[in-house]
Amino acid sequence: MISKSKFIGAVEIGTSKVTVLVGELTNGRSLHIIGLGQFPSRGVIKGSVADFKAASDATHRALLDAEKRAGVRIDEVYLAQSGGHIDGFYNEAAVNVAAADNMVSQVDIDTVCKLAMSKNLPAGRIVVHHLRRPYRLDGRLVPEPEHLVGRRLEAAYWTVHGEESKVADQMHVIRGFNIHVSELILSGIATGTFVTTPEDRQNGVLVIDIGAGTTDYALYRDGCVQVAGVVPVGGSHLTNDLALGLRLTEGQAEKLKHLYGRAMIATKDKAEKVWLNGDYAIGDRQFSRQTIEQITSVRAWEIFEVVRKKLGSAYSPETTAAGVLLTGGTAKLPAIDEAASRVFGLHARVAEAPSWVAENLRDPGYSTVLGLLHHGLSSRAEAAPRREGVGGILKKLFA
Amino acid sequence: MSSATANTQRTRTWRDIQQEVAPRSMSREGKKRHRLASLRLFLGVVALGALGWGGYEIWKLTRESPAGLAAASQSEPLREILLKTDGVLDLARVESVLGIPPGTPLMNLDLAALHRALVASGQVRTAVLARQFPDKLSVTVEERTPVLRVVVRGDDGKPAALLVARDGTVYQGHGYDHALVSSLPYLDGVRLVRDTAGYQPVRGMETVADLLGTALAGTPALYRDFQVVSLARLATDGEIVVKTGQVESVTFGTREDFYRQLAKLDLILEEMRRPAGAAPIKAINLAVGGRQVPVSLADATPAASTPARQPAAPSFFVPSQTAPASRTRDF
Repeated sequence: MISKSKFIGAVEIGTSKVTVLVGELTNGRSLHIIGLGQFPSRGVIKGSVADFKAASDATHRALLDAEKRAGVRIDEVYLAQSGGHIDGFYNEAAVNVAAADNMVSQVDIDTVCKLAMSKNLPAGRIVVHHLRRPYRLDGRLVPEPEHLVGRRLEAAYWTVHGEESKVADQMHVIRGFNIHVSELILSGIATGTFVTTPEDRQNGVLVIDIGAGTTDYALYRDGCVQVAGVVPVGGSHLTNDLALGLRLTEGQAEKLKHLYGRAMIATKDKAEKVWLNGDYAIGDRQFSRQTIEQITSVRAWEIFEVVRKKLGSAYSPETTAAGVLLTGGTAKLPAIDEAASRVFGLHARVAEAPSWVAENLRDPGYSTVLGLLHHGLSSRAEAAPRREGVGGILKKLFA
Repeated sequence: MSSATANTQRTRTWRDIQQEVAPRSMSREGKKRHRLASLRLFLGVVALGALGWGGYEIWKLTRESPAGLAAASQSEPLREILLKTDGVLDLARVESVLGIPPGTPLMNLDLAALHRALVASGQVRTAVLARQFPDKLSVTVEERTPVLRVVVRGDDGKPAALLVARDGTVYQGHGYDHALVSSLPYLDGVRLVRDTAGYQPVRGMETVADLLGTALAGTPALYRDFQVVSLARLATDGEIVVKTGQVESVTFGTREDFYRQLAKLDLILEEMRRPAGAAPIKAINLAVGGRQVPVSLADATPAASTPARQPAAPSFFVPSQTAPASRTRDF
């Protein structure tokens, strides 16, 4: 049999960098990562495109870099969606089972799902995901209710929506490279699917992906996403706080954050100083290490507190047995797991990539793009296989 | 089921966003890829168009002049004919029948016409002709085997010997051994009807071929003595009359097994040979069936109608009867 390969590009247009991962999808089942491209992001503020041309240039250079390294042309793109405009709401619906013998049919399932997803959005908003929670049949949780017997079938969805113009902007950046966006996946969900195990998701786990401009989160329970969203605060706010508090440039603050920033104050001695450059040249300055730790820890705590507030009543430590998983570039901040643990009242840890991930991709900053490929592959596997008709062949010929 | 189904309306999702962007919104690389895609689309359309046009032209050609299709392709002239046969035809005879002018290009050969010419000769039962590029024609034939021979008056008024095959085909044999042809009995009692290719097939030849084949295999001595086989009574009475060297008329019935009839004939001839000075046999009718075989002697008179009982085998006895009317014909 001739194997059919498709080259998928997983693209994350972040606030600090654009990351592109190229995966070779063979026969729709197996995926091999064959290329990585990165470029410092421009024209993106808090996950949203603010300067189309600058964002396009940066993204296209990352795409070109990835294609060059992989030695192939990307056929389609899975795009990560983040940004402060992302929001979500909960909606549920119930139907009485139609059959006389009370056996649930596919029609009942379709009806209740349609009802649960039918809530109107405000003008200018567009659905990014409908995340279904487990069905309830006469009050009991059932993953697949078809052919089960019951009277009342309930379905509930967490609908993630965003501003249509901002979602369209990101897609148009990719289309500007003449590649079709075939999947749009919320960054938090992409990351969550990748760093958690099915057992974690069943027992309850909170995944927090702290990027530069935004923090994505996804709360799992009973194997499904309960709540997912974005808060427009990230690692760049730590940098900004340092820059403002210590009167530094952004570059200097970023450097201090990487060298001495912590999510928990560890330095007891107020007099302990650190040098900005360490070369003792003109312009080199000393700063209190405790002050740096104080500034970064306050902001780190604030991020977690904002996330906890956004989760609201959906979160409870009792139903999140698998704890908190931290990922994203800012998850490298020392003692961040300790801070998360204090805020959420749960054990927290920095997520580790699965063992099959190559060494150069094990950094938490790659979790989202790896998750995009992982999520996209899972979605394809779940979708019913369809034969490629003449239309598909022609489309490929002319693509 | 909830009555709210009708009230549900589809919410817009990100898939509803129009992804197409104007080339002016593209980066340089994007424009390059866009141009390349457009070029591929253009080439694809051109290729499809060319394919369609080519297909239409071929279709038109095959409908209007199929020969032109073959002639359109250049080929070497025919240099050799490769003959495979299960019979006696030689290459010279096949070349003569095919009549291909020297230097004819291989692709110009009308294989269907050549096939018709081969089969029309009669001797060839089936033929397969195939071009072997660059310059050979492969001819594979299956030939008919002659069962009888027949003499007819040719177009020039002179007698001509033809052969008759098992399927009744009458043809002019070529390449057969003279001894084989001489050993074949003559056919009599039928009227050959001419048609465009030669003569119409003789009916009932399969039955005759079975008789002769059984004789050749089981009693070769008797077969060698068969001189004329008459089919005059085959259609009406189901009888085949054979003139042999010893008996003027031996009648075989088609309803009884030929082997049994030949065994009886062999026994009768053997028994009749024993008494010294016995009269020669004029007719033997094996078509009567059963245990009795009417035998007529050449000098037997109605007055002396005492049965000349023979010490026949216990399986049957041979009464003397008036010879049945028989038709013979001299060649």
